[in-house]
Amino acid sequence: MAFLIAGRIFGLLCLLVIMASVAYYIKQAQGGTVPKVRRIPGIDAIDEAMGRAVEMGRPVFCSHGIANLRAATSGPQTLAGLSVLSYVAKQSLAVGAELYVPVRQPEVWPVAADIVETEFKLAGRGDEFDPDKIPFLSTQQFGFSSNYMGMMMRERPGANIMIGAYWAESLQLAETGSRIGAMQITGTANSSQIPFFLVVSDYCLIGEEIYSAGAYLTNDAPLIASLAGQDVGRIIAVILGLLGALTVTFGSNILLDLFAM
Amino acid sequence: MSDVLRRIEIPIALTIIATLLQVIPYYFEIPALESAANTASNGVLLIVACATFVGVISIIQVHGKRIQRQSEGWYYSLLVIGLSVIMALTGLPFPEAGLGVNNSIYNWLFINVQTPLGGTMYSIIAFFITSAAFRAFRARNLEASIILVAGTIMVMGNAPLLTNYFPFIADVSLWIRSVPNLATMRGVMIGGALGSIALAVRTLMGIERGYLRGGGEE
Repeated sequence: MAFLIAGRIFGLLCLLVIMASVAYYIKQAQGGTVPKVRRIPGIDAIDEAMGRAVEMGRPVFCSHGIANLRAATSGPQTLAGLSVLSYVAKQSLAVGAELYVPVRQPEVWPVAADIVETEFKLAGRGDEFDPDKIPFLSTQQFGFSSNYMGMMMRERPGANIMIGAYWAESLQLAETGSRIGAMQITGTANSSQIPFFLVVSDYCLIGEEIYSAGAYLTNDAPLIASLAGQDVGRIIAVILGLLGALTVTFGSNILLDLFAM
Repeated sequence: MSDVLRRIEIPIALTIIATLLQVIPYYFEIPALESAANTASNGVLLIVACATFVGVISIIQVHGKRIQRQSEGWYYSLLVIGLSVIMALTGLPFPEAGLGVNNSIYNWLFINVQTPLGGTMYSIIAFFITSAAFRAFRARNLEASIILVAGTIMVMGNAPLLTNYFPFIADVSLWIRSVPNLATMRGVMIGGALGSIALAVRTLMGIERGYLRGGGEE
């Protein structure tokens, strides 16, 4: 067993079970069995927010957070934010909204710009793409937030969509959006920032909802099915949590020993 | 050739290889893979360093146009580009030429401009919290009333004058923080971890393409 690193075996088993269940449901979906997914009001409201912005003659702001793509916990949040950006860019062209995408990380800028530019090209309007509307603001956290707030005060967006990893700037950005009357849809998996977003924005995606957003928006059967596979992991977590509470209460460390395998 | 390089399979394959290179050595002891993963990580650092220039180009594009057109507030753009150039030049890693992090101009700008401006931006969060709290602490329905009560107890629990005379407030505040709050946060964290695993699996299988150009339609 020296081939496997001690202390990580149980984690690997859990990971494999979740991966297998996600793969199973994806295969099922490819065969035509697609599970039902509950509606997520925050994601449903993206179209409404964009429509409202167009009616008001105001632009739409869409941010994918301030994290890079490399970090273990915040990188996936950026990916989720970019999936939402892909949809927002497509919809902004469909409804005629002016889209701004403020960027903090230089390494994410080409990805964000490419997503928006490709949507313009796919819509046959490649010549209308303006890279100035996807500005790189600053790598400094508060340099980025002050610039973002300044942009919001000048451009007065009708919709402000912020989905990704945010830290202390979350309240600054969301509160500024609220002051200028933008309809705000926010979401993060950073638990310390969720309360700020909940208080200030119209709709807030909590934790894992942001990871589902890309699948939910594309309405692609295999992607939707993968969400069901995720539920298997949740059931395992609940069962282990209950078993852990019971075994520890009765003085047994069997589960702790299992986790440390 | 350029058509081949723009094929959507290339970024998907690169993502899958890079993911496996990080995941497998975490669980399995395979020295060759570990060394490959380290090499890949170093490569990422190089890419990130090069990407900094992309940011600089974007800044010059956006602010350069503003200065050229003399748009509203163009002098701020001039300040951004001017200070960026000064910071970049004085911070170049050539200590023998008097440049680098010990350069006096670089240090002066860092200590007297960047640090206080960052501190100021951070401190204004206090004002934003006040206005957000004003909005949140309105008992419009049952959920909002629970937030109002819990928030009030938490604020009172952090006031030594009150907890000195009414010690039970500190106990209730501690209970709120370490029982319902902690339980909720753990739920959110577990859900978030499961969500990111599912996202990783979708990415690994090449079906999550939202981060790719046009959702991989091109």
